[in-house]
Amino acid sequence: MMLMVWLIPLLPLLGFLFIGLLQKKLEGTSAGWIGSLTVLASFVLSLLLFFLHSGSSDEYTLFEWINLGVLSIPFSLMIDQLSLIMMLIVTGVGFLIHVYSIGYMKGDDGFARFFSYLNLFIFFMLILVMGSNFLLMFVGWEGVGLCSYLLIGFWFKTPEYNAAANKAFIMNRIGDLGFLLGILLIISTFGSLDYNSVFSSAASMPDNQPQIIAITLLLLIGAAGKSAQIPLYTWLPDAMAGPTPVSALIHAATMVTAGIYMVVRSNVLYSIAPDTLFIVAVLGTATAVFAATIALAQNDIKKVLAYSTVSQLGFMFAALGAGAYTTAIFHVTTHAFFKALLFLAAGSVIHAMGGEQDIRKMGGLKKNLPVTFTVFAIGTLAIAGIPPLAGFFSKDEILAHVWVEYKYLFVALALASVFTAVYMFRLFFLTFYGDFRGSQRQKEHLHESPGIMTTPLVILAILSAFGGFLGMPEIFSDKHIIGSFLQPVLAYPSQLILSKPSHAFEWSLISVFAILLLIIILYTYRKFVSNKNIPLEDGSVKGLSRVLMNKYYVDELYDYLVVKPAFFIGRTFHSLVEKSIIDRTVNSIKPILISTSGMLRRIQTGGIGFYIFIMVFSIIAILAYNLLIS
Amino acid sequence: MNSLIILAALGLIILFSEIFNFKKIIFPIVFAGIIAAIVAALGDWNNSASYFNNMIRTDNYAVSFSVLILFITLLWFVMSSSMFEDQETRTDYFSLIVFSLIGALVMVSFTNLIMLFLGIEILSISMYALAGSKKDNLASNEAAMKYFLLGAFTTGFLLFGIALVYGITGSFNTDQISEYIMSTGHSSSPVLIAGILLILTALTFKIAAAPFHFWAPDVYQGAPTPVTAFMSSVVKTAAIASFLRLFGSAFAGPSEFWIATLWVISAITIVLGNILAVYQTNLKRMLAYSSISHAGYMIMSVIALNEKAASSLLFYTAAYGISSLAAFMVLLIVSSKSGTEEISGLRGMFSKNPIMASAACIAVLSLAGIPPLAGFFAKYYIFSAALQSGYTGLVLIAVAGSLVGVFYYFRIIINIFESNVQMNDLGVNVFNKAFLLICSLLALLFGILPGLIIDAI
Repeated sequence: MMLMVWLIPLLPLLGFLFIGLLQKKLEGTSAGWIGSLTVLASFVLSLLLFFLHSGSSDEYTLFEWINLGVLSIPFSLMIDQLSLIMMLIVTGVGFLIHVYSIGYMKGDDGFARFFSYLNLFIFFMLILVMGSNFLLMFVGWEGVGLCSYLLIGFWFKTPEYNAAANKAFIMNRIGDLGFLLGILLIISTFGSLDYNSVFSSAASMPDNQPQIIAITLLLLIGAAGKSAQIPLYTWLPDAMAGPTPVSALIHAATMVTAGIYMVVRSNVLYSIAPDTLFIVAVLGTATAVFAATIALAQNDIKKVLAYSTVSQLGFMFAALGAGAYTTAIFHVTTHAFFKALLFLAAGSVIHAMGGEQDIRKMGGLKKNLPVTFTVFAIGTLAIAGIPPLAGFFSKDEILAHVWVEYKYLFVALALASVFTAVYMFRLFFLTFYGDFRGSQRQKEHLHESPGIMTTPLVILAILSAFGGFLGMPEIFSDKHIIGSFLQPVLAYPSQLILSKPSHAFEWSLISVFAILLLIIILYTYRKFVSNKNIPLEDGSVKGLSRVLMNKYYVDELYDYLVVKPAFFIGRTFHSLVEKSIIDRTVNSIKPILISTSGMLRRIQTGGIGFYIFIMVFSIIAILAYNLLIS
Repeated sequence: MNSLIILAALGLIILFSEIFNFKKIIFPIVFAGIIAAIVAALGDWNNSASYFNNMIRTDNYAVSFSVLILFITLLWFVMSSSMFEDQETRTDYFSLIVFSLIGALVMVSFTNLIMLFLGIEILSISMYALAGSKKDNLASNEAAMKYFLLGAFTTGFLLFGIALVYGITGSFNTDQISEYIMSTGHSSSPVLIAGILLILTALTFKIAAAPFHFWAPDVYQGAPTPVTAFMSSVVKTAAIASFLRLFGSAFAGPSEFWIATLWVISAITIVLGNILAVYQTNLKRMLAYSSISHAGYMIMSVIALNEKAASSLLFYTAAYGISSLAAFMVLLIVSSKSGTEEISGLRGMFSKNPIMASAACIAVLSLAGIPPLAGFFAKYYIFSAALQSGYTGLVLIAVAGSLVGVFYYFRIIINIFESNVQMNDLGVNVFNKAFLLICSLLALLFGILPGLIIDAI
C-alpha cells in the first residue's frame, strides 16, 4: 500500500527525469509515449487505490522531513476521499491531454522538453493534492507555478510569450506570499502544519476568531492568485500564450482549481470563519459576472475560453462561500471534463486553421472538422448548462446553494450563468456555422485532426455528457454520489448544516433556465448565423463593447497603479540605496579585507622554528591565562 | 568492533598481495573490504558494547562516525585512483590508507585515553608517510618533514597532558575520569586543568585550528592532492569527532576551565581562516585555509556541549567531507591536465566541461553554506546548537566569517563562468563524472532532506 501510494507521484517524476535528461537522445514521439505511460500508470494506481480505499483518512509517512524541535514536519502523503478525487482528475485528464499532445506537439523542436515539463507538472500537482500538511501543499503549489511559468513561455523565442509567463509568475507570487503568511500564522496559532492536528484543534474554537479570520483571508489571497480571482485574475487570459494542451491541463482542468482544493481542504477553518466565507462568496460572484461579460466581446477563441474559465472558477468560489464544499468539488470535476474538452477541441480547430485563433476568420468549420464540431458542441451544451449534460447539474447545484445563503448574490450569479450561454454559443456559431472567412490557403489546409488527438476528445466528450450523474439533485435521485463520497472529509458538518432549497424552487430554477437557454440559442443563432453578424474589426468597435473588448482596461489600470510605481520605487532604491550606500560600503570593505589578508599572510613564513615558537607561546599563554589569571 | 578487525585483515592482505603477486586485483579487494567494514559497523547500531577491557565502545556515536569515515574513504578511493597508478608503490599507499583508517575508527570509538593516543598515532604516522609520497617532489618531501616535526612535537604535549590527567584521577578510562572529577572536589586542581588544556591544544593541532594551524597550509599545498583531500576530509572528521567524544564526556564536568579557551580558538580560527583565504590565488592553498575555517565552525559543536552537539557535528562533517572531496576532485582534474593549481586555471570551464563546472559550483556553494545545499543546514544546525547554549557572540563572529567565505568561494564560480576565456574540453572520464555527480546529488539530498542524517544519532 505504502509503495503504491508513493509510486503515484514518483512515476511522473521519474518520467520527468528520464525525458529531461535524455531529451536529445529520444527520437520521434517516444518522449511523448513515455510521458503518457507514466501518467497512465499513476492513473491506474489511483484507480486501484480508489477501489481499495476503506473510507478512512490514511497517512503514509516516508520520513521526518524537517525537525526543529518546536515544529516537526513529516514528508507524508494523505489518502482520503478529497485527495482521491483530485488524484483521479489530475492523472485521468492529465493522461488524456498527454496523449492529445503527442499529436498536437508533433514536429515541435521542444517536443521532449514539453513532455518533461508536463510530467513534472503532474508530479507537483499530485504532491499538492496528496500532501498531508500545508507545507507539502505549498511545495506542490510552488512547483505547479514553476511548471506553469515554464510552459506558458514554452515558445520562449517570442518575447510576448515570455512577458505572459512573467506576468503569470509574478501575479502568482503575490498570492503565494499570502499563502506563505497564512502558513506561518497557522504555525504560530496551532504549532503544527499537519492537517489532522490543525483541524482537530480548530474544531473546538468559537466562530470568527480574529486569527482564524486572518488565516483564512491569507489563504484566500493564495487561492485567488492560483485560481485567478479578482483582483489577481489578469494572468490567466495572458497565459494562453502557452501551447493549447497546456491551457487545457494547467489553466483549465487542474492547476487553477488548486485554490478551490485548498479551501475545501481547510473547510474546518473556513467553517468557523463565516465572515471570510461571505467574502469568498462575494469575490466568487463578482469574478463570475465580471469575467463572463469580458468573454462576451473577445474574438480570440482561446481568450473566450480563458475568461470563461475565470468565470467558472468564480462559480466555484461562490459555492465555497455558500459553504457548499462538495458542490465546488463537483463543479471542479465537471469543469475539468468540459473545459479540457473545449480547450482541446479549440486546439484541434487552431491546428486545422494553421495557427489562426481569431474567430472572425473562421466559420463553417462544421463540414471539415466533423469530430471536433461534435465534441465542441457537447462541450458548449455542457458548460452552458443544458440538461442533462455535466455542467447543468453542477451549476444548478451552485445556484441553488447560493440562493439559500445569499439571495442577492444569486441574482448576479444567475446573470453570469446566462452570459455563459451567450458567449459560448456566440463562439460556437461563429466558429462552426456560416461561411468560411479565412484565406484561400487556410481553406485548402482545413482537415480533421489525427486519431491520436480526436480519441481523447471523444472520451472527454463522453465524460462531459454523463459526468453530471455523479451529483444529481434531490428531485431526480436521492443519491448524490460525489456529495456522499466526500462527506467524511467535511469533518464537522454539524457546524454548518446546509439548508436545502425546496423542490418547488429546484423545479422552477430548472424550467426557467431551460427556457432562457432556448431563447439564447435561438437569439445567437439568428444573430451570428442567419444575419451573419460578424464582430467588427478592433478599431471600429464603439461604446460598451469597446470597454469589454479591452477587458475594462484592467491591465492598463494595474500598469498605472502598480507596475509603474513599482518600477519607480525600484529605480529609486537602485540609485539611492544600492549604488550609493550598499555598494559603497561593500566595496570599501573589500580593500580592507584584502590588505588585512595580505598582512596576516606574512606570519605564515614557512619556517618550522617560527611555527614552533608560536605554538609554544600560545600554549604558555593558554596555561597562564587559565591557571594564573582566572 | 568487527569493522576494526576487517580493516586490519585488509591491511595485511594488501601487504601480502605484494608477495603473492595479486596486486592487479587489489582495488576491488580494498573496495569490498571497506564496504564489508561499513556493514560490520552498521551491525553495531543500537548495540553498544565494550571491547578490550573497556578501551573501546561501539555506541551509536562511534558507529555513525565510523560509517561516515568509511563512506567518505570509499568516495575518496574513486577520486584518487590516479594516485594508485604506479605499480611499484600502490600496495604501500593502499595499506597506509587502510591502516590510517584503523586509527580513525579507534579515535571515534575510544573510551580510554591510551586508545585515543594510539588512534591518533596510527593515523598520523600513516599521514606523515603519505604526505611525502611524491618522492621526487621537493614540496612533497618538505610537507612530510614539516608535518612530522610539528606532529611529533604535539604528540609530546598530548602524552604530557594524558599523564597529568592520569596523575590526578588515577585512570585512563574516560568514564572513570568523569566519575572521579564529578565525585571529588578535584575539578579545580591546577594539575588536572593543565592536563586537560594540553590535550586540548594537541587535538586542536590535529584539526588544524588556530593558533596551531600553521602546518596546515604548507602541508596541504605540498602533499599530493589526493592526500590533501584525505587529510581535509577523513582525518579532520576523525580528529574533531574524537575531540567531541573526549570533551563531551570525560572533561564535560569541569567545562568552565576550558570552554573560554576553546571559544577564543574557535573565533580566531574562523576569522583567520576566512581572511587568509581571501588573499590566496592558489586554489589548493585557498582550500587549505577554507578547511582551517571549517575546523573553527566544527569546534563550535564542542563548545555548545549539548544534546545537539553530536548530531550537528555529524551533519557538518558529512556535508563538509562530501563537498571538499568534490572540490579537490575538480582541482585534481584541472591541475593534472593543465599543470596549474591557480584559481585562474578554472577560467571558462563551464562552456566545454559543463558537468564538472556544475559539480564544482555545487561543491563551492555548499562549502559557502548557501541553501538548499548540505553546507547550509550544516552551518544552521551547528549555529543553532551554539545558540541554544547561549553563545550568541560566537555565532555572530561565525556568521561574519561565513560572509567573508562567500567572497572567496564565489571567486571560484566567477572564474568558472568567465566567458571571455574558453577552456578546452578536459575529457573528464566517466568514472570521475560519476564521482562528481554523486557528490553533487548527495550535497543536494542532504540539503533538501536534512532529516535523513540529523535524526541518525
